[in-house]
Amino acid sequence: MNDTTYQNPMMPYLGKITEVRDLASEIKLFRVKMLNGGSQAFADYKPGQFAFVSAFGYGEAPFGIANVPQRGPYLDFAVNRLGNVTTALHELGDGDLIGVRGPMGNWFPMEEFRDKNLIVIGGGIGGAPLRPVIQHVLDHRAEYGHLTILWAARHPSLLVFTDEYDEWSAAPDIELHLTVDNPDQQWDRNVGLITQLLEKVAPSPLNAVTITCGPPVMIHFVGKLLEKMSFDPAQNYVTLEARMHCGLGKCGRCNLGEKLVCVDGPVFTMKEAGELLESFL
Amino acid sequence: MNIITQPQLVSWLDSIAKERPLIAPRNVAGVLLYRPVENSSEIAWGPTRPLMSVKDVLFPPTERLLTIEKVGLEVKLTDTFPEGNVVVFGVRPCDARGMQVLDALFIDTEPVDPYYARRRGNTTLIGMACREMGPSCFCTSMGGAPDDTSGADIFLTELPGGFVLQVLTEKGEALLSELSLAGFYGELPKPSYNRPLNLVERDAWPTHFNDEYWESMAERCLSCRICAYVCPTCRCFAVRDEALLAPGQFERIRCWDSCAGENYRRIAGGHKPRAEKGERLRNRFMCKFYYYSEQYGLDKTVACTGCGRCVDACPVSVDITEVLAEFGR
Amino acid sequence: MYEPKIIAFLCTWCSYTGADSAGIARLKSPANIRAIRVPCSGRVSPEIIMRTFDQGADGVLVLGCHIGECHYDTGNHRTAKRLPIVQALMEFAGLDPQRLRLDWVSASEGERFANITNEFVDGVRALGPVRWRVTSNQLRAACERVLPSIEPVEYTASDCAGKTEAIRARVKELLSSREADCAIGYEVSPRGRTRPTFVYRPEDVERLVWNPDCTHNLTTYLREKLHPEKGKETPKKVAVVVKPCDSRAINVLVAENAFEREQVYAIGVVCDGIADGKGSLQTRCATCAERIPFVYDTLIGDPSTHDTKPSSPVAPGIAQLSESTSAERMEFWLSQFDRCIRCYACRQACPMCDCPTCLYERDDSTWVGMGIGLNEKRTFHLGRAYHLAGRCIGCNECERVCPMNIPIGYLNQKLVQEIENTFAFRAGLTPVVSPIVTVLAGEYKEG
Repeated sequence: MNDTTYQNPMMPYLGKITEVRDLASEIKLFRVKMLNGGSQAFADYKPGQFAFVSAFGYGEAPFGIANVPQRGPYLDFAVNRLGNVTTALHELGDGDLIGVRGPMGNWFPMEEFRDKNLIVIGGGIGGAPLRPVIQHVLDHRAEYGHLTILWAARHPSLLVFTDEYDEWSAAPDIELHLTVDNPDQQWDRNVGLITQLLEKVAPSPLNAVTITCGPPVMIHFVGKLLEKMSFDPAQNYVTLEARMHCGLGKCGRCNLGEKLVCVDGPVFTMKEAGELLESFL
Repeated sequence: MNIITQPQLVSWLDSIAKERPLIAPRNVAGVLLYRPVENSSEIAWGPTRPLMSVKDVLFPPTERLLTIEKVGLEVKLTDTFPEGNVVVFGVRPCDARGMQVLDALFIDTEPVDPYYARRRGNTTLIGMACREMGPSCFCTSMGGAPDDTSGADIFLTELPGGFVLQVLTEKGEALLSELSLAGFYGELPKPSYNRPLNLVERDAWPTHFNDEYWESMAERCLSCRICAYVCPTCRCFAVRDEALLAPGQFERIRCWDSCAGENYRRIAGGHKPRAEKGERLRNRFMCKFYYYSEQYGLDKTVACTGCGRCVDACPVSVDITEVLAEFGR
Repeated sequence: MYEPKIIAFLCTWCSYTGADSAGIARLKSPANIRAIRVPCSGRVSPEIIMRTFDQGADGVLVLGCHIGECHYDTGNHRTAKRLPIVQALMEFAGLDPQRLRLDWVSASEGERFANITNEFVDGVRALGPVRWRVTSNQLRAACERVLPSIEPVEYTASDCAGKTEAIRARVKELLSSREADCAIGYEVSPRGRTRPTFVYRPEDVERLVWNPDCTHNLTTYLREKLHPEKGKETPKKVAVVVKPCDSRAINVLVAENAFEREQVYAIGVVCDGIADGKGSLQTRCATCAERIPFVYDTLIGDPSTHDTKPSSPVAPGIAQLSESTSAERMEFWLSQFDRCIRCYACRQACPMCDCPTCLYERDDSTWVGMGIGLNEKRTFHLGRAYHLAGRCIGCNECERVCPMNIPIGYLNQKLVQEIENTFAFRAGLTPVVSPIVTVLAGEYKEG
């Protein structure tokens, strides 16, 4: 076997942080410009794909790519400070170098969604991988039907992309609904769980697809409710998370039964997710 | 097929050991392990398989993937690929089949893992048939056999005073170029086989996913990692950056891990899938007998080679053959 | 010329100021000292000291206030208790004892500070740099060294049939009357190996056995049984079959609030010792004088029929190691740790090792890296041995389960001896915590 023919999929590309801004409490948005070979590797990725981001000296973790390439060339990553790698990333600022490996995983089949009504359901930081879907629809407005966005968080300080809500609402044939579990003094919109909001908005399953992302328990209850509302599980899409170490289908950590979230997912229909031997809960 | 006498074998191995690392079964403080030997006199000749498998050689417990140098705002990354040819002698058929299982993952499934692929390319395996199956061996139930030659580059079968030698690959051929051996025209001795296990069909494994059996069989499990580490086919690994002593210098390493560990799937933020031991052991067995081949092909066979190491090594006698028997009824 | 790297932990209130005094008085202190200021010498935990050596220090100096003068009253008492234990451990592992020193310096004792530091640095300089490293040839040679063990002791366990019947009968009563929800005992596997088993129904008691291979310490399952995950129902009471050594673990765990004594029904077995798989007595049994469990709610077997003298006084391997040189000891231990694969079986088998996240398995690699390398393995084993000081009850299961025949039991036994010599204390005889553990509320659970 010839040594030199193998690319090294474990070698990250270098990316430079060009902007860091607070997205929500303990959540930052990192805008990254890929350098050298990286810009080619990330020239064309699809909504739903993810990448491994390295905080050098600490490690790597998978993050959904939170924008579409057409709005680039940059990659947006929403990082919630929870553990070792994310804390290290939160220490970084403009000009710092990070590593990026990818794009990885499968993606939302946006071509199949054409001419359909889309219902996007995001909970907390789960909104980040859904943002490229919204951006794609906005940038190709004529190709898609009605877009309903249901956006939730436990508290107003945890809502993500608040400064883009105006852009979203302003586009034609789009409705944006927000809800929080626990309001603060200024909150004047819906209060309650996302399932309650979903029941209230009651979108029609006709010619529609739903795309949900959020904590596993939220996905579970949203799925149940959608079924009750006569949505076919095959028309409900989710993006799942699992602990990952390689993102390439080698290290074996992210399996849900016989499927690997990093290569067979992270995008699944609720039908597929329901048929997995192992529950994602 | 050829005959190689014991003296010829010894001198050949000695000459190999002079040129490059020779790894063979060696007695290390009472434990039989595949370890580098300086010459053939260090080899432990005996019927038992070593405690650990040949997996150590191709997929070591800890491996450096790259080095990271941070200088000011600059970062320099360097691959650290393994170099050098290695010969492994005395590889049991269960171990060689184990290598084939790992090949399906690391080489035959994209993307190719360059670390494993290089080691595999640089390693020549000299297999050795077992005379008989040990009390915990069940390779014949897993599609193998004590005299199965798959995966080896050269294969030896013991005879009185020497061995029958079969050359199976070009790599093996290259290693033998200096030797001239007599031909063998007889019949290979047949090893004795254990009674085969009653096995469940591979495709029936998913039907057992929700059995209550998993919880009860796993209660005695200590959630250590012995079974995964002695196994020729377990391959889960973790990746992390570690600081080196010089400032600004780090290495990205990968090392063995096991789904039997409690915190294996814990997500930052605390959610812990597979919190129950039964769920973890179920994952380990289902992966071995169903998931792995679903993911990586393996001609739809199982990823267990029946070596029986886990049976012997488990401190609380969790027994994979009992699991197979339970479902094979 | 070689100059040692010395890390000095100096407490804010006394020794750090003492160092200042030395400076002001223009007394010569060695430049090798790199001072780390801590609020109190009690802050300097043994893990920090071991980590300091791991990271390349040639010598570690801990200077606190004189006893009776601690700003926090008893902070330096903690150091005084713990440091000698870690010193003994490091020495046993091959680190020259002169490399670690604990002393007391007050704020005004500039001269004393200078004297101590000069003396210490001179001593460490003479020893040369610390080398936690061995060449592969040294490893090979050291591996061949086999420590002396006790003479094989033939024995027969008495009345196994009687004890089996008694255990079955008792468990049947407990489960039928619902006094206990579960019983942890021993069974024989289809393959003929004795192993732990869990019985929930009275009709299943026929599985339970007592035989010379009942080696497992079943108390290791108590904590997880009594604190189930994911909102499962907590059992009211769990019965467990215990040998004398195992029963001591119950006392240690109760003292450490792992569970309440009332939650455990201890089926104590009068013990003749356990076999080593080759027909002789296990070493830990041959050196054990206990026949009757320390904790039991029912006693299986007749205590009057058993001899109370151990066959051998103490593991001869420890004596021989203690007589070797530091370098020989270091080579020995590194050659043993070289084989380790960090399977953590030793830790998992131990009833006392049950931290939700083991210090040596943290995601952020704070105390040790993730790799399966010699330095990491040494750190893990020495750290674990220290964590068990005053808590280890000597069941030696850690050593038995090791797939690589590493004699890690020696580390624990060494510290058992140290704790006994220093504090006249043996873990688990009564429900009292380890003497080197400080209970911050100042209350001890007395047994």
